[in-house]
Amino acid sequence: MTLGPFLFGAPLALIGLIALPIIWWVLRATPPTPKAVELPSLRLLDDVDPNEETPAKTPWWLLLLRLAAAALAILGLSLPLYAPGAQSGDAPSGPVLVVIDDGWTSAERWSELRDAALIALDGEDRDTPAHLLLTAPRTLNTDPSERLSRADFTARLRSLEPYPWTVDREDALARLNESGLQPSRILYASNGLDPETAEPFVRALMAKAPLAVYAAPPRGPAAITSLSANAGGAIVTLRRAEDRSANDYFVSALTLDGAALATAEASFASGEREATATFTLPPAALSRITRFQVTGSASPGTIWLWDSADRSRRIGLVSGDATAQPLLSDMHYIRKALEPFASITEGDLTALIEDNPDAIILTDIGQIDPSVVGALTDWVEEGGALIRFAGPRMAANGDTLVPAPLRRASRAIGGALTWETPQALGEFPETSPFAGLTPPEDIRVRQQVLARPGPELARRTWARLADGSPLVTADQRGRGTLILFHVTAGPDWSDLAYSGLFVDMLRRSIAAGKGEAVADAEGLYTPRLTLNGRGQLSPASTGATPLVASDFGVTDPSETHPPGLYQGPAGTRALNTAVDYQPIIVEDWPSGATLLGDAEARTMRLAGPLLGLAAILLALDIIVALSIAGRFQGRRKTTTAAFLFALSAPIGLQSQPAEAQGFQFDPPRPAVQRDPLPKDIEAALDMRLAYIETGDARTDRRTREGLNGVTLTLFRRTSVEPAEPHAVNADTDALDVYPILFLVLPDNPEPMSETAIARLNAYMRGGGTLFIDTRAGGTIGQSGFDGLGETLPGLDTPQLTPTPDEHVLTKSFYLLSSFPGRYAGRPLWIEATSGTSRDERRGDGVSRLLVTDADYVSAWAVDDRGRSLYSVDGGDEQRERALRFGVNLVMYVLTGNYKEDQVHIPALLERLGEEGGVGDFENDGVLDLDDIVRPVRPGADE
Amino acid sequence: MTTLAALRAEAETLARQLPDLSLQAEAADLVHPGAAGRKRAGSGEQFWQYRRYAQTDAADRIDWRRSARGDEYYVRETELETARTILFWVDPEAGFDWRGDEDHPTKADRARVLMLALGILLSKEGERVGVLNGPRPAALGKAAPDRLAEDLLTPPSGLTPPRSNALSIVASDFYDPLPEWRARLAPLAAKCRHGVLLCVSDPIEHEFPFTGRTKFSRPGSLLDRIFGRAESVRDEYLARFEQQREGLQALASQMGWTLVTHRTDQDALQGAATLALALEQFGGKA
Repeated sequence: MTLGPFLFGAPLALIGLIALPIIWWVLRATPPTPKAVELPSLRLLDDVDPNEETPAKTPWWLLLLRLAAAALAILGLSLPLYAPGAQSGDAPSGPVLVVIDDGWTSAERWSELRDAALIALDGEDRDTPAHLLLTAPRTLNTDPSERLSRADFTARLRSLEPYPWTVDREDALARLNESGLQPSRILYASNGLDPETAEPFVRALMAKAPLAVYAAPPRGPAAITSLSANAGGAIVTLRRAEDRSANDYFVSALTLDGAALATAEASFASGEREATATFTLPPAALSRITRFQVTGSASPGTIWLWDSADRSRRIGLVSGDATAQPLLSDMHYIRKALEPFASITEGDLTALIEDNPDAIILTDIGQIDPSVVGALTDWVEEGGALIRFAGPRMAANGDTLVPAPLRRASRAIGGALTWETPQALGEFPETSPFAGLTPPEDIRVRQQVLARPGPELARRTWARLADGSPLVTADQRGRGTLILFHVTAGPDWSDLAYSGLFVDMLRRSIAAGKGEAVADAEGLYTPRLTLNGRGQLSPASTGATPLVASDFGVTDPSETHPPGLYQGPAGTRALNTAVDYQPIIVEDWPSGATLLGDAEARTMRLAGPLLGLAAILLALDIIVALSIAGRFQGRRKTTTAAFLFALSAPIGLQSQPAEAQGFQFDPPRPAVQRDPLPKDIEAALDMRLAYIETGDARTDRRTREGLNGVTLTLFRRTSVEPAEPHAVNADTDALDVYPILFLVLPDNPEPMSETAIARLNAYMRGGGTLFIDTRAGGTIGQSGFDGLGETLPGLDTPQLTPTPDEHVLTKSFYLLSSFPGRYAGRPLWIEATSGTSRDERRGDGVSRLLVTDADYVSAWAVDDRGRSLYSVDGGDEQRERALRFGVNLVMYVLTGNYKEDQVHIPALLERLGEEGGVGDFENDGVLDLDDIVRPVRPGADE
Repeated sequence: MTTLAALRAEAETLARQLPDLSLQAEAADLVHPGAAGRKRAGSGEQFWQYRRYAQTDAADRIDWRRSARGDEYYVRETELETARTILFWVDPEAGFDWRGDEDHPTKADRARVLMLALGILLSKEGERVGVLNGPRPAALGKAAPDRLAEDLLTPPSGLTPPRSNALSIVASDFYDPLPEWRARLAPLAAKCRHGVLLCVSDPIEHEFPFTGRTKFSRPGSLLDRIFGRAESVRDEYLARFEQQREGLQALASQMGWTLVTHRTDQDALQGAATLALALEQFGGKA
């Protein structure tokens, strides 16, 4: 049923509107639910008649709310449809033909086109068949004569997607004529572009039946139509259909996986149909770009796939020298300069020629193997670029494959025996490919090979020195080019390799090469990634067939060759949708065709919104009814509380980690639960002591307690604030993150494994300090070090000596005269320094190995609360001295010879602090001890 | 209904705050606290009378000291002394075990607390306390408060009078019509010369703060009444409430009893003190 611009799918439901007055009456009669209240003293009122028992009226606004909800529900159930463009039911009923442009130009406004097509049957009879004609050609086209029922037609339309190739209207018309369909009405949902095909098509359609046209030309930029790239970036050309307003669009450069590397703006001036977006990108980034896309557009035409043919060149590298020092090798500089934008192959010259790269670079190859010269010459004449660098070998022994004949010697400029100074670069000649580059002024060329002067030389010179002698010469050979740099590619002869100019010169030289496009005309490229009609890259569609290299550029995208990236023998090639496409809007549709405006082509199904609104009103009504009945009052408090709780819960959660980050000033027992880090990372983050696990649990525990004690003492008394000690396994854990490792041996130690010993040796060689305590000092009648050899077989033990009296261990923090542990008077053996030369001393003069049997860890050991655990021979005083030794030991290990040097500081300071003291020494030139020690008071001499 | 522990704790707190209670405060000559002379012969400490020896008396009952003065044999009798009995009764109706606000206890709970506090004090004085028509008879001694607390929490049966004279405390909200109450209390008043009517009410019952369309129901009753505008019956309600109170006061006076009123939003200590005062006044009368 039609009512103005509204269609009703189920008009009988409107009868329900009659019920509204009844609802009105019922609602008026039914008062709202009363509040329920308990009252024991109600007994008092038992015989009281209420004087006003009239039911409270339903408020008028509540009545209105409920009526509106009911009315909306009834209206919604009648399935109304707002369709201003719908035909009235009076038109003669017959098959309706719907023609849709489903090429890529429709992609941007596809939903509008589809919606416009969807209303084609609205207002027609229920049985009116629809016929569909799609203008984008496919191998299996839709048959226009196929009858589609109303439901089929809708389902069919909804499943339609645009195709990433262009429409072929002539072909579509031919198909229509072939089908012999006689429609009674035609709706043409057109992309509104290309008048030269659209106008005849529309005329032909009008000849068949009354025609309505809905045109939806793309609003934004229609297409990226071309791209030009150079060394410094890329320029993308955009075209649009309408040209009235000035608009700015952005184009993104994306990598294969969709990451945007750069964005450039393209500004359409008013009246302009074309705009460009310029990307300035470093070559390394440029080489990663696979496509350009207009931001925010979902049409295959606004994507430009960029293949490797435009981008990188293949280069072969052959080097004459094979030096072991990579930073001095010529190859290194060339490789670094070209790597970002060329694929480099290295190897044998013969193999390289077969590989047929764009350019071959030879560094300082004196004479090319005569057996290869022929092939190489052929390759150059076919278009290759042979780039050669000079060098000592070429200077000594050249060949003919050079642009200009060379002299048999190199010219050294600015040596000890020459008058000339090293030469700077001169201006590049106008004709040179290097023209436009600016030579930096600080480049100096110290040596070069010289070309023999000849009439041709000036023309062949691409670059010359300030004094005019050629630096780069080049010559055409066949279709190829022969280029010679008269210096080495490395920094031996010139500074050229250090400068950015070198990169540019190399790139421009390579550009003289042919490029791969020509190379494999017969190469077959299989589609790898194809664009769909929505502008998305996806694995190749099933209908896609391979394409011969020579066909790229002449093939238009179609179903068999959809736009996309094709993989072939020489990298990838791209088939783009909108190459050089000119979008032109059809301005003058043939008169006689009904043009549907945007509004007319739109339908709106109102059932959903109406029913939704009704539901909202009903929900509102429930809330109102509950609040009238007083159900919300008692609950308000709890509801508010729950609401506040819900609000505060996330805040509370957030504040949790903030607390956890608070600084914890208790390093031996950090209470903060962090994510457990790997042990080596943890050790590297905080300085800490560590001990090697012996496998004897009691000894290990004692060691841990001892180290805790030292750590605590250090933390309290010194600026060394170690973290909790680590137990390490000498076989597996990283050792070099610890400044000192304690090895405290149990009574009957197991021999350590070979790996462990080897790693401990490496640790000591690398500057670590190993502290071994046999804890046997209390044993009577035997040396405490018996069996050390068996426990640590093969430990790389330096020459040991008892600690000298004035050793830095006695004064690195506390001044100590002896080093008592649990047992007093035990020797502490350290590395002897006397016998070794200074070079051999490693680790900043810190002894690599300390061996003792005084059982320090027992003297140090504390429990969790910092109370001492074990008895010590000399009581608390000796324990304190043992702890002081522990502090000194860690200080010694951490500071190395700094503390040793620090001993002399007072004397040095005194010397420097005296006025004129230094001058005094200069005066008499003799420095004796009195001068250093005796303070010189001003005026004391008078 | 509160738990036994909570009831006991609250009552103990109250009892600690109250001064010692003595029913004989005005009969100060009584030596034995807790025992009251019964004005007849019986077992007791106080001398009651010498009477002639009868054949039925045992020979060892003869008071030789008195008999030596004359020819007659005399028997020395002491005055009968028994502990006074105080009986409590809490209205078991659902409407009494009700509260209008979560902040206050139910009326019955408040009544129990007051009663138990009094019971603790009285049993300390040696009185016999118990629940009227309770599961156990009234008891003396240290265990009496415990028994009283337990018995208070079991709903008593009706208001049948005790076998002997006792001091009864009847707690209710007394909302039933006065003639009904008169009928229920009459037998009790006949048996117990003294008693207290403890009328506990909820603040809401005093204020009647309802407006608008309201459906009223009575706890324990399935009937309900709807008032279109509750505020319109407020004046009537308040008048009737006052009337009921006055009638109740008159009823108590007629019976020779005392009416003590208490609101659950009042301090329990205040209620307990009022109740204690009312009890002490009986001491003289007894």
